[in-house]
Amino acid sequence: MYESYDDPINILVEFVGNCVQPREFVWSNRLYTVDQVNLVHTTQEGEKCYIFFSVSNATNMFKLRFDPSALEWRLMELYCAGA
Amino acid sequence: MAAHGTLLRGSMKQIILHIDMNSYFASVEQQANPFLRGKPIGVTGKKHTRSVVAAASTEAKRLGVKTAMSTWEARGICPSLLLVEGDPKKYSDITARFLKIFHAYTPNVEQFSIDEAFLDVTGEAEDFLGAVIMAKSIKEDLRTECGEWITCSIGIAPNKLLAKMASRHQKPDGITVVKEKDIPAFLSLSRLEDVCGIGPRILRRLNALGIYTFAHLQKTSKTTLIQEFKQYGTWLWLVALGEDGEPVEAIDDPPKSMGHSYTVPRDLTSPRDMKRVLLALADRVAWRLRRDGYVAFGVAGHIRYNDFSHAGGSERFHHPIEEGGILARLCWNIIERHRHPDKPVRLIGVTAIMLQPKNAQSSLLSGDQKIQKLFCALDHLQRVFGPRSWTRASLIHTRFKERSSGFHYDHDL
Repeated sequence: MYESYDDPINILVEFVGNCVQPREFVWSNRLYTVDQVNLVHTTQEGEKCYIFFSVSNATNMFKLRFDPSALEWRLMELYCAGA
Repeated sequence: MAAHGTLLRGSMKQIILHIDMNSYFASVEQQANPFLRGKPIGVTGKKHTRSVVAAASTEAKRLGVKTAMSTWEARGICPSLLLVEGDPKKYSDITARFLKIFHAYTPNVEQFSIDEAFLDVTGEAEDFLGAVIMAKSIKEDLRTECGEWITCSIGIAPNKLLAKMASRHQKPDGITVVKEKDIPAFLSLSRLEDVCGIGPRILRRLNALGIYTFAHLQKTSKTTLIQEFKQYGTWLWLVALGEDGEPVEAIDDPPKSMGHSYTVPRDLTSPRDMKRVLLALADRVAWRLRRDGYVAFGVAGHIRYNDFSHAGGSERFHHPIEEGGILARLCWNIIERHRHPDKPVRLIGVTAIMLQPKNAQSSLLSGDQKIQKLFCALDHLQRVFGPRSWTRASLIHTRFKERSSGFHYDHDL
């Protein structure tokens, strides 16, 4: 099922038109590829805006958070298929 | 007064769309996570205990899980049910996105709930064929903007009542058209409980009068309905005809009240703990009042005991209220007058009532001015840094879990 995190990640993204598409990222010294961006949504906390990317590969779903004001990416949630 | 002689009267020239998102919260979760697709899932407020299924996926509904069922009951019916903790901020953002899509087709959009809206497309669609083309186009836009798993059912009819009933006819992902000439046949196929406004209590009263179907309702005189249901009887008489004069209201009415309630994780027995929860709730209500420029001239408070019975009341005041501490104190006085001292409490609620726009003039009393300045600064803090930027010392250990249901998620709370 879902596991919550709040860990910084290093990420490679692609700009497609005016959209950002995460492609792969490193978390805990492991490289994870992104096959699909399933949903993008934003939230507001005071004046601060966060952009969430729900992405997946063959075995996992990740919820990644981008903070545009700090240019920082974090892994927030992980779902392992079959776990 | 005679019974209904004909089913059609007057001119009904409007074209209304009712758009209902299918298994909304569950579909959003399935869109975000492909591993949940095709599986029975239930979106809950708080995952494990004391929670209800806020939305069930289509697969879960097929297995008997219903919205608002308790999680233990739902698991009893469907042991394979996957419970997913709701993410209200995500749903709120998707709602804003589909409303934006709707507004691209017409400015006449009335948000009816977090997952439903009425669109008056009379001018834009011109006729029912145009409305069907528009409905298909909205579905396509929804797929592109939000994802293929987030679908909607659309009812197209000459008024809101019929459009809402029509959208229920083909789920998920359907389009149902009810033209004026189809109304008698459509009503004969519909159940009275399909009407928004005929709930279980009204249905029981109708049944007691021998009214079980639309045909029965159509044969009942207006006088009989008014005798039994007072003003509501006139509305029921119009419902029998498939008529509804309510326009699509694109602008929200000013609020009549603002309130919050919370089901606590464990039953409360101590008045001190109850007061803390009440104060935290009152601070949220008061922030909304100040943010939206209102003051309250009345307070209502209610509690629900662990046996699901409830108590509460309301009171009017001469002085305007806009501060959480005062709101909480007045509300507690009301609750204390009605509360059974030995019964554990599972839910507490506070509502600011008799709202009026705030007068710009500030109080002349120096004590009041100090408080006003303090809350002006705290409100600024909250606007810039968000809802967790400040709290009262007495509430440091009082934390609320986010809800996954509700009409509209407020990012500022």
